[in-house]
Amino acid sequence: MYILKNALRSISRSKGRNVLIGTIALVIAVSACLGLSIRQASDSARESALDSMSVTATISYDRQSMMNGMMGGGKFDRDQFQNMMGGASSLTLDEYKKYAEAESVDDFYYTLTAYLNGNDDFSPVTTDSSDSSNDNSGRFPGFPGNMMGGGMSFSSGDFTIVGYSGDNAMTEFINGVATILDGGQMFEEGTSEYSCVISEELALYNEISVGDVFTLVNPLLETEIYELTVTGIYSSSETNDFSSMMFGGGQDPANKIYMSSNALSLIIDNSEANSTTITDEDTGREQESALSSTLSATYVFDDTDGYYAFEKEVRTLGLDDSYTVSSTDLTAFENSIVPLNTLGTMAGWFLLVILLIGSVILVVLNIFNVRERKYEVGVLTAMGMKKSKVACQFVCEILVVTMVAILLGALIGAVSSVPVTNALLENQISNQSSRGDRFEENFGRPDNIGGGMGGFPSGMPSDLPGNIGGGKDFFGDMFGGAANYVSEVNSAMDLTVVLEMVGIGLVLTLIASAASVLFIMRYDPLKILANRD
Amino acid sequence: MSILALNNICFSYGKTPVLKDISYEFEIGKMYCIIGRSGAGKTTLLSLLSGLATPDSGEISYNGDDIAKIDKYTFRSKYIGVVFQSFNLLTKYTALENVVLSMDVAGYKCESKKKRALELLESVGLDEDEANRRVLKLSGGQQQRVAIARALSYDPDIILADEPTGNLDRETQSEIMEIFRNLTEKGKCVILVSHSPEVAKMCDEVYELSKTPLKKRMV
Repeated sequence: MYILKNALRSISRSKGRNVLIGTIALVIAVSACLGLSIRQASDSARESALDSMSVTATISYDRQSMMNGMMGGGKFDRDQFQNMMGGASSLTLDEYKKYAEAESVDDFYYTLTAYLNGNDDFSPVTTDSSDSSNDNSGRFPGFPGNMMGGGMSFSSGDFTIVGYSGDNAMTEFINGVATILDGGQMFEEGTSEYSCVISEELALYNEISVGDVFTLVNPLLETEIYELTVTGIYSSSETNDFSSMMFGGGQDPANKIYMSSNALSLIIDNSEANSTTITDEDTGREQESALSSTLSATYVFDDTDGYYAFEKEVRTLGLDDSYTVSSTDLTAFENSIVPLNTLGTMAGWFLLVILLIGSVILVVLNIFNVRERKYEVGVLTAMGMKKSKVACQFVCEILVVTMVAILLGALIGAVSSVPVTNALLENQISNQSSRGDRFEENFGRPDNIGGGMGGFPSGMPSDLPGNIGGGKDFFGDMFGGAANYVSEVNSAMDLTVVLEMVGIGLVLTLIASAASVLFIMRYDPLKILANRD
Repeated sequence: MSILALNNICFSYGKTPVLKDISYEFEIGKMYCIIGRSGAGKTTLLSLLSGLATPDSGEISYNGDDIAKIDKYTFRSKYIGVVFQSFNLLTKYTALENVVLSMDVAGYKCESKKKRALELLESVGLDEDEANRRVLKLSGGQQQRVAIARALSYDPDIILADEPTGNLDRETQSEIMEIFRNLTEKGKCVILVSHSPEVAKMCDEVYELSKTPLKKRMV
């Protein structure tokens, strides 16, 4: 007890020296607090997002792997590549359902997409010079029918008809991107009736209201018509983008028509049953008139562990290596926290450098301190105080000064860590974004490689820290994607940071006092006092 | 019965012998003076007696026990009180704190250490105001008194004092010697190291350190 009392007395009697040591420890503490807070903010943002995020995944043909396999010999064979792409088959609905039996899958849904034209009484909304004629159908030669989780056949019409397997598949309506307006309602889940919901713009453009019936036509066979009843009209915050300009009015969000997948399946089955071979007048190429469709299956998992387990389970269930499991949620999320992660890494290095430099300074100061107090050590040991107790007193002094500095540093850090972290994060995002700007300026299109995909996908919770935004469909992500980074943290310091700070304080004390202890243990009181005399 | 005994003590600094075959006994209730010319080894002998140095050969016994077998810190902090030539007080502490700290180190138990320290300081001629002054603000004579009070604080049997009157005026010198005389009357063994004939005259026994073994010279 008297050792601690002595230590406190010694601190109060040597203010200059202890203020100097305390100031250095304070600088280290504030820097450490900021560094740790940034790292903690990065980890917390990631963990809380992943914890509350239900991850979705799709199974798609692994073109990259196929291309890598082809390039393995060092020579690219275009014909072979086209044959392989043409031979790549899409998974069937039954196969998708089989993989949905995996234990890790929490939910499973799919959408069926087809493209149909309107007629004179029902035409698509056009906002630009894109030709909305019926002659915009076709396929990329050699591409498989199923490219992205369910396939991206390139048969385009005036309207995109999306058939949902169930209510849970209608992510636009669940996450608030689209809302059914008053007076209408969603079609019945799983219904086989030709009922649908259309966009507000489309309804206004064609003067259609709930209960009206309109007609859609097979773009390749004008005699093949389908009559759909409007059960509801929706408004959507989704905007027209690059994809609709590139692929025609059918890609315009306003021209999307939603219905049950069962109903759309009936249309497609009917189209296949009545298919005829037609010849293109311009190219002379023959093709079937049957409507092509895109099947997109989505698997939902509780968390990332489920997703990673699914990747293994599907292989045991028989999924070929030429297919890959991917998650746009995770990819978008990883991209969104790139600046925060970069900042976290930088903070880690900064912390390390500060600790190293700070430790060296503290060690040097303490060596000077113990040498200056050599006489005191001599007197205390001559009085019969054990060297270990003298050393303990010196350690206590450093510990008290360091801990006070750590406490002050933690208080300063608590106040400043959030604004400093956000300022640094803003700077980091600015650096990251300028890359994308330069890319777009020079290449005339958005950078989708380093800059990240668009907003978070639909499975993303809305209460995440920072500016984690709404979500677009895949086309929106792919072609419209300005990166949506985590740009703000609300809380950077928590109990973990405080405990880490205390840990740093203890380590600093140990390092700084190690030299003192070493010197004290080597001192001979007789020599000290004799030299003094 | 002797409380402290030297048996054939030899000590040298490197290859230079300082003390050779020194044997003697010190008893309770007596005041001893060790004299000798400068460099004769007086302070070295005091260091050996206080356990700060270890003899090359021979044995120092305390109450019949070899002090080499006693923990040197315990020996220094409990059994023997040392008044150094340059006092060796903690200069940033007050006189009172120096004395209390000494009791803390010794693990001395009493009702109030502060009260005892003030009484001791008063007994050596320092009032409460002086007791609460930093040591550096006290005169040489006052510092000497603080050093004596500190040596007495944990009630050791033996008091060792190195040149206790060396830097003091005649009047203070007499007062300090009076304090030591009173200690012997209270049953302490006081061993002084000095080259002052006046000091030697006031002691019960005087021993002279020379090239020959320690010689007893009756006062």
